[in-house]
Amino acid sequence: MRQVLEGSHAVSEAVRLAKVQVMSAYPITPQTHIVEALSEYCEDGRMNAKFICVESEHSAMAAVIGAASGGARTFTATSSHGLALMHELLHWASAARLPIVMAEVNRALAPGWNIWMDQTDSLAQRDTGWIQLYCEDGQEVLDTTLLAFRLAETVNLPVMVILDAFFLSHTYEPVDVPDQQDADRFLPPYSPRIQLDTKNPFAMSQMAPPPVYMEMRRNIQVGMEAVPGCFDRIEKEFESIFGRKYGQLETVSCEDAEIILIVTGTAASTSRHVLAELRAQGEKVGILKLKMFRPFPKDLIRQALCNAKKVAVVDRNFSFGASGIFAQEVRAALCNQPNHPPVFGYITGLGGRDVTPEILKQIYQLVKQTPEPVEESVWVGLKE
Amino acid sequence: MLLRQKKLMIPYKLSEILIKKGNTMTECIPLFISQSSISTEINNTGTWRFVRPIYQEKTAPCSETCPAGEDIPKIEMLSSRGMFKEAWQTILAENPLPAICGRVCFHFCEGSCNRTKFDSPLAVHCLERFLGDKGIAEKFPIPESAFQNNGKRIAIAGSGPAGLSAAWFLSRLGYCCDIFEADSKPGGLLRWGIPAYRLPKRTVKDEIARIIAQGVQIRCKSPISERFLKDAKGHYDAVFIACGYANPVRMNIPGEDLMRDGLELLHQIRSSDDPACMSGTAAVIGGGNTAIDVARSLLRVGVKPVMVYRRRKEDMPAFAHEVEMAIREGIELMELSAPIRIEQQNGQFLLTLQKMKAIPSESGRAQIVPDGDKTKMLAVNQVFRAIGAEAKENWLIPPKENTLKLSHCAFIEQEMPIIFGGDLSNPIKSVTDAIASGKQAAMALDIFFKQGRIEETLAGCRVGSGTALSMEIYLGGARKYRNPHTVSFEEVVTDYFQPADRVQPITPLPLSRGDIALSFEDIEQTLDSDSAIEESKRCFNCGICNDCDNCRLFCPEIAVFADDLRQINLKYCKGCGICVTECPRNAMSLEEEAA
Repeated sequence: MRQVLEGSHAVSEAVRLAKVQVMSAYPITPQTHIVEALSEYCEDGRMNAKFICVESEHSAMAAVIGAASGGARTFTATSSHGLALMHELLHWASAARLPIVMAEVNRALAPGWNIWMDQTDSLAQRDTGWIQLYCEDGQEVLDTTLLAFRLAETVNLPVMVILDAFFLSHTYEPVDVPDQQDADRFLPPYSPRIQLDTKNPFAMSQMAPPPVYMEMRRNIQVGMEAVPGCFDRIEKEFESIFGRKYGQLETVSCEDAEIILIVTGTAASTSRHVLAELRAQGEKVGILKLKMFRPFPKDLIRQALCNAKKVAVVDRNFSFGASGIFAQEVRAALCNQPNHPPVFGYITGLGGRDVTPEILKQIYQLVKQTPEPVEESVWVGLKE
Repeated sequence: MLLRQKKLMIPYKLSEILIKKGNTMTECIPLFISQSSISTEINNTGTWRFVRPIYQEKTAPCSETCPAGEDIPKIEMLSSRGMFKEAWQTILAENPLPAICGRVCFHFCEGSCNRTKFDSPLAVHCLERFLGDKGIAEKFPIPESAFQNNGKRIAIAGSGPAGLSAAWFLSRLGYCCDIFEADSKPGGLLRWGIPAYRLPKRTVKDEIARIIAQGVQIRCKSPISERFLKDAKGHYDAVFIACGYANPVRMNIPGEDLMRDGLELLHQIRSSDDPACMSGTAAVIGGGNTAIDVARSLLRVGVKPVMVYRRRKEDMPAFAHEVEMAIREGIELMELSAPIRIEQQNGQFLLTLQKMKAIPSESGRAQIVPDGDKTKMLAVNQVFRAIGAEAKENWLIPPKENTLKLSHCAFIEQEMPIIFGGDLSNPIKSVTDAIASGKQAAMALDIFFKQGRIEETLAGCRVGSGTALSMEIYLGGARKYRNPHTVSFEEVVTDYFQPADRVQPITPLPLSRGDIALSFEDIEQTLDSDSAIEESKRCFNCGICNDCDNCRLFCPEIAVFADDLRQINLKYCKGCGICVTECPRNAMSLEEEAA
């Protein structure tokens, strides 16, 4: 049924449809609406789930780790400082191979207190072993969250569903909310491969000395490597039920494009308008919207970019002392490819600043006019 | 080291499943995590410990300030579970008169209650009264005493609260007691001195009956004389003297003989089931509890009393609550007025009152001095004197020499020891202090006969650091082991408590004058069981384990186990102290491990 939903509530609805059994979260703007709705669902009986109130995000993640170890389908949500506080346990969740799903609302980190959109919080967690899926609009948020449970439980790795603060979390859009019956068809009850059992007691995640640790890490990577295949297959099934698909990445007009803009999140939606405008002016421009960041879909990226003359990456994040993080990853994916296009990095829209069509057009003109990247990152729209 | 590592080596389990790909199972996602069925019990986390938690009950401030040393946190804990019989028996271990004390004790316990800083103190007196009445109504059994009759006989002079208390505890300890009472009925001050609206006759009778049932003989109309002390030798092994203050203190002013004695009025009113009506006005001189009782009793027989006091209201030795009640009932208080003369005039009494004034002094208590020659006149139909009382005869006053002075008694150690107790020797003249005195006398005598060291042994029976003594401690009961440290409010983990309203005993006050007149009914009502349970649940149970189980629930090593008693498995307790921190009532402590 189509409803006008806030982006946050698109997450909540998906979690309800996923029949999550245990949730734990600590409120933080702009994540609060997600868990607020879920706690109400638990209270009024719309969900048959346990909501564990905790005093910090660290404890929230610890609580869902415990519940997932016991074999429950689990969910949490956070943002910015909350995610940073979870850091230690993010490693735990993935290395214990627990299929936890988390909604992460991209928000800037302090100081310079700022509650607005910025991708550095989630990208700073790229090495924790979590699958990361970025979303463009409310519908994608709902669909991705639902799909995330299937994916996580298939590969035994945790999934972060990432949405932009306010631009997405607090914006109302028409969203098609699936029927419970269809949701159930897509997402059967969780049957854990390993779970703690009081009747057959055992301990998990104990000491792993040098003779086994490396093998365990390699094993996580094997799981990660299985993600793209599993994702495509699961999404195909999703499409057959709900008629929607997103892909690990989406290319728009890239076949003949000379310049391809790589975008993520809500900026992708702005870039679609810019693309239409520029195409109408005869510009050979294409868009690559990156949805999956971990594992990084390097093969698909190489494929999509192989014919372009230039690639421009729009980063709403920054790794100090290096460059925009998406740009780094794209460069790394291309560097061993013969004759790959040069990668231009642009930093914009940090701390909630708008990424307007004008900014994107300006970036396009900059790429077009610059024969070779001079700097790793060009900061666009900086005030002098 | 290698061997040890091998032993600790965890078996790794590679769990693989096939992922459904279309209709065939082809894809395999391995899952390699450390997993072990070896019990974590091999990890003796106890070796990490350098401090250890211990179950160590502490002293509650209420128990410490209760003159009778009642184990209030335990009493309330049992009451909160509806275990009224056990709660009542717990009171009886320290105080044989709960229905009386629940009514007339001025509950110092509530003054020191830690709950005061949280919301309002626990209504301990209401709960004691409830349990006392319940014990009488339901004829709760008295636990058997562990002591056989030891053949020793004790003579007790006076059947007031001190005498009754001494008789109760001594007979529980195996002594045979005879009480000699000068009046026609037993009870002393309880029967004659406290008006019925505070203490019904029935309650006094029921409580005394329980003491008689222990085998105590009470001989009424048998005043003892100085000669008795000599004659008693051979018949008795010891004498306890607790005759109270029977003689009113005189004012020594002209016209004094025109006054009546307040205590005598109280006696007269209580002697009758239906006190005679009186009328007119009366002046009651004094500011103590007796003066208040006299004034309020006069009001109830139809007289309009006015209280005349030489100091100010705030200086009155009467308990503030009693003063408030008197004023709420409409009794007038004339402060800073000292009678200097009484004359008879036109069938009335004319009091000449010297006006007084307060001069602030550096010591704190204001000095009250005559305000020049200012006087005023007060004409009333009757005058009652209630400025205090003293021992009836000089030999009843404990001698100063060759006497062991205890907190509530004076002990003459001799072949046939004599102990003075009750108001004759108590620092505070209250019913509960009198009971404390009787208990102290019983313990002191028992120690004497067992050839122990009286002062040292008594010091070991103190509740906390106050003067209250515990028979439970003396007899080596389980609560003997509570630490004398008094639990402070800061030591209570108030996160575990919700604010809750203090129970309000049903009180018909303020009554109209017409209602009060001629009514000696109880002013307060006894709580019902539900309210008693609710109120007792408010108790923090300072320093006593009430099986809340926090220590066990919070222990990260699952090292706390509870079969009969809670215990700590030191093999696994790593000394983190969470159990101690989360104990809401300071019933646990951390101690350093011996080096």
